Amino acid sequence: MWAQIINALLGIWLMASPAVFGFADDRTISNNAHIVGPVIASFGIIACWEATRVVRYYNLLPGAWLLLTPWVLGYDTTTAIVNDLVIGAAVIGLSLVKGKVSGTYGGGWSAIWKKDSLHATEARRQPRV
Amino acid sequence: MSHTNDAIPPGWNYNPATWGERLPIVGLALLGLAIATYLGLFQLKIVPTVWEPFFGNDSKKILTSGVSQILPIPDALLGALGYAADATAGIIGGTRRWRTMPWIVILFGVMVGPLGMISVLLVVVQPVLYDAWCTLCLASAVISVVMIGPAMDEMLASLQYLKRVKEANESLWKAFWGYKEVQGKII
Repeated sequence: MWAQIINALLGIWLMASPAVFGFADDRTISNNAHIVGPVIASFGIIACWEATRVVRYYNLLPGAWLLLTPWVLGYDTTTAIVNDLVIGAAVIGLSLVKGKVSGTYGGGWSAIWKKDSLHATEARRQPRV
Repeated sequence: MSHTNDAIPPGWNYNPATWGERLPIVGLALLGLAIATYLGLFQLKIVPTVWEPFFGNDSKKILTSGVSQILPIPDALLGALGYAADATAGIIGGTRRWRTMPWIVILFGVMVGPLGMISVLLVVVQPVLYDAWCTLCLASAVISVVMIGPAMDEMLASLQYLKRVKEANESLWKAFWGYKEVQGKII
């Protein structure tokens, strides 16, 4: 869970960074931060809960995008390049951290289409009500 | 694992439909409802000014912007309707509702999800199109995103139940609407 909280905070930091570092006037850099930041923060927050922990993988895409943006979008500010690269690498690393999952969820989301998952086998063992 | 309590879904260690699980989400929805109603009243010019501790005139700029008035109803009031619908769908049904009335659980899940996604979209629109931030709009967005995670476990339990109904070749339609004849056959 802590890894996903840090990812959420990194997303919020990305949103705030153009104003903090003073490159808010560079529309390319700031627009990218203002679009990708809220996305990372949202996935991070949703992935805090055990039943939706799988959402942490959704942050791999915006994380990878941040590793490419300085070149794809042609950044010319060193601070912005370093900021995006560090956040991107950290978000990718932290989204791979599963963390503690203490509950059981009947086999999880894949159990909706897979046969004989935990919820189905458990239900068969239970007496009919 | 105890099998005596049929309110706990098979293969789970807790029941996601207890009041302890649901009431915090309903509380968040009511908080969101209060904020969105306040912002909507400002947009309707019933409330003359809007509370903004950090970003000066930005809130007014955003709440009177073109995007906020694309639809005939101000966007904050639509948000308020969304929150009201979430709170209602969170309250309806007993603690076995993941199998006695999957329709409300799934409706709850699909309403909470998109409301959160639209909030995030509006958070992006503020700085990108208007170069401005609105504190209460951001607060509302945080609330609607926080609601998504805890609402999803119950929907997962309902979808797994419908999967068992399908495997047993019973009517998904009847199970979805909570017909008693299906409930008696499938756990």
